[in-house]
Amino acid sequence: MAAPVPWACCALLAAAAAVVYAQRHSPQETPHVQYERLGSDVTLPCGTANWDAAVTWRVNGTDLAPNLLNGSQLMLRGLELGHSGLYACFHRDSWHLRHQVLLHVGLPPREPVLSCRSNTYPKGFYCSWHLPTPTYIPNTFNVTVLHGSKIMVCEKDPALKNRCHIRYMHLFSTIKYKVSISVSNALGHNATAITFDEFTIVKPDPPENVVARPVPSNPRRLEVTWQTPSTWPDPESFPLKFFLRYRPLILDQWQHVELSDGTAHTITDAYAGKEYIIQVAAKDNEIGTWSDWSVAAHATPWTEEPRHLTTEAQPAETTTSTTSSLAPPPTTKICDPGELGSGGGPSAPFLISVPVTLALAAAAATASSLLI
Amino acid sequence: LDENGDSWGMLACLCTVLWHLPAVPALNRTGDPGPGPSIQKTYDLTRYLEHQLRSLAGTYLNYLGPPFNEPDFNPPRLGADTLPRATVNLEVWRSLNDKLRLTQNYEAYSHLLCYLRGLNRQAATAELRRSLAHFCTSLQGLLGSIAGVMATLGYPLPQPLPGTEPTWTPGPAHSDFLQKMDDFWLLKELQTWLWRSAKDFNRLKKKMQPPAAAVTLHLEAHGF
Repeated sequence: MAAPVPWACCALLAAAAAVVYAQRHSPQETPHVQYERLGSDVTLPCGTANWDAAVTWRVNGTDLAPNLLNGSQLMLRGLELGHSGLYACFHRDSWHLRHQVLLHVGLPPREPVLSCRSNTYPKGFYCSWHLPTPTYIPNTFNVTVLHGSKIMVCEKDPALKNRCHIRYMHLFSTIKYKVSISVSNALGHNATAITFDEFTIVKPDPPENVVARPVPSNPRRLEVTWQTPSTWPDPESFPLKFFLRYRPLILDQWQHVELSDGTAHTITDAYAGKEYIIQVAAKDNEIGTWSDWSVAAHATPWTEEPRHLTTEAQPAETTTSTTSSLAPPPTTKICDPGELGSGGGPSAPFLISVPVTLALAAAAATASSLLI
Repeated sequence: LDENGDSWGMLACLCTVLWHLPAVPALNRTGDPGPGPSIQKTYDLTRYLEHQLRSLAGTYLNYLGPPFNEPDFNPPRLGADTLPRATVNLEVWRSLNDKLRLTQNYEAYSHLLCYLRGLNRQAATAELRRSLAHFCTSLQGLLGSIAGVMATLGYPLPQPLPGTEPTWTPGPAHSDFLQKMDDFWLLKELQTWLWRSAKDFNRLKKKMQPPAAAVTLHLEAHGF
């Protein structure tokens, strides 16, 4: 009977107190933003309060120990990243909020790393930058591009915030480009610049869609095809040359082939039955540097029978190794099932050898007539 | 040999004389399957010359001394020189017809060869003079090759219009430093022209590729 009445009374008082509290914390008390250097010492005064005022400090809502106080000021020594946060000081008795500081601990920027590259020659080039070490606080970058005395526009990349693009107006220029970047944040600033000739920064993107396929009836061949990078705008007037590298997965040493034309190549000295890894790189025929290596393609040369489980594959491999792996097969040889020595082949070797010899002789005759 | 501004005047005069020499006759090659092989040869020559120039320029710039031999040396181009400029608007370059493309190359190298010969006369060391002379000979070969291509395609060799050839103007006396700047730009322009020519001849090559080449490649692929 009497219980609900004091309960309602308390609720009302609490609501009133909340309203008063909210009024006291109206928008006029927006936190003061402060940036301080990592490792430094900082003293946060409690707004305009006297040094001897009785205050309590909190960070992100958690009370701070009184031993950090120097009067009403908060002392933080050897700032660490974890010290970043919202600091608030309250009048000890009334809990009236006196002052708030949003503290960000960071570093001034070190010299930025700037690089420029033309993967779309002759359309243009792009420059990208980054800081070697993080500052932990927001930075602003300003890029300027000079061609001789002419200022060129560097358009911001729509997706990447540390990149901008420049369009070539003229080609074959003897005048260098100078790209300067300045970076600044609340704790300091830094800058750097690079100068280069039009030709030295040309570096295409890697070739695309590298595919390696076995060649039927050819146990030592792999056919590799690729496409010129889609970012290279004019392969007709600015042809690319390519560099192909391949190795069986089990070996470390790469084989290399440089190709001045075309987007296909047949490897003719692959080890039979071994899985290969193949990559291609591209370069403008005359200027600039090689692209990075393409995404790797994997392929295994054609073998006659389907792949067995490892236990059965052992004897098959030892018999084939004498004919295929060690000595390169003569070019006129026609692939004959008998020579592979497979377990499932015919069991009368003498019958097979005769047609093979005849076939070889015929092939040799044809070859010699073609070579005139 | 005088070393003040008159030397440039004399050089310009010499260039004018050379310019009026009769055109190099095209080599008479029997059984020539069109301009393709000679375009390829011209292209190859530009690559060879570009390679040769790299070592020559390095040596010559060291001879000139700093700041000319510093990699970051980036002087403003005052425009006082009469060197043929390789730089061209991208769209203009793309749309050049074959005759104009070849003519521009021929004219450029004619001028550049002339200036290079002047350089040779002033070079101090015998080693430099030898390298320069060798380069001039190769450059003369390139000119002849371009002339050959033009003749095969039926284009006349450019005859200088009055007023466009390098004429002798009594300009201000060149200081030693300005002379070196001229040398620097000559080598820079030469290098850039050789890069441009490679691209020019690439374009010409692609346009004139004879179908026989495709058949040859096909045979090679079969290992014969």
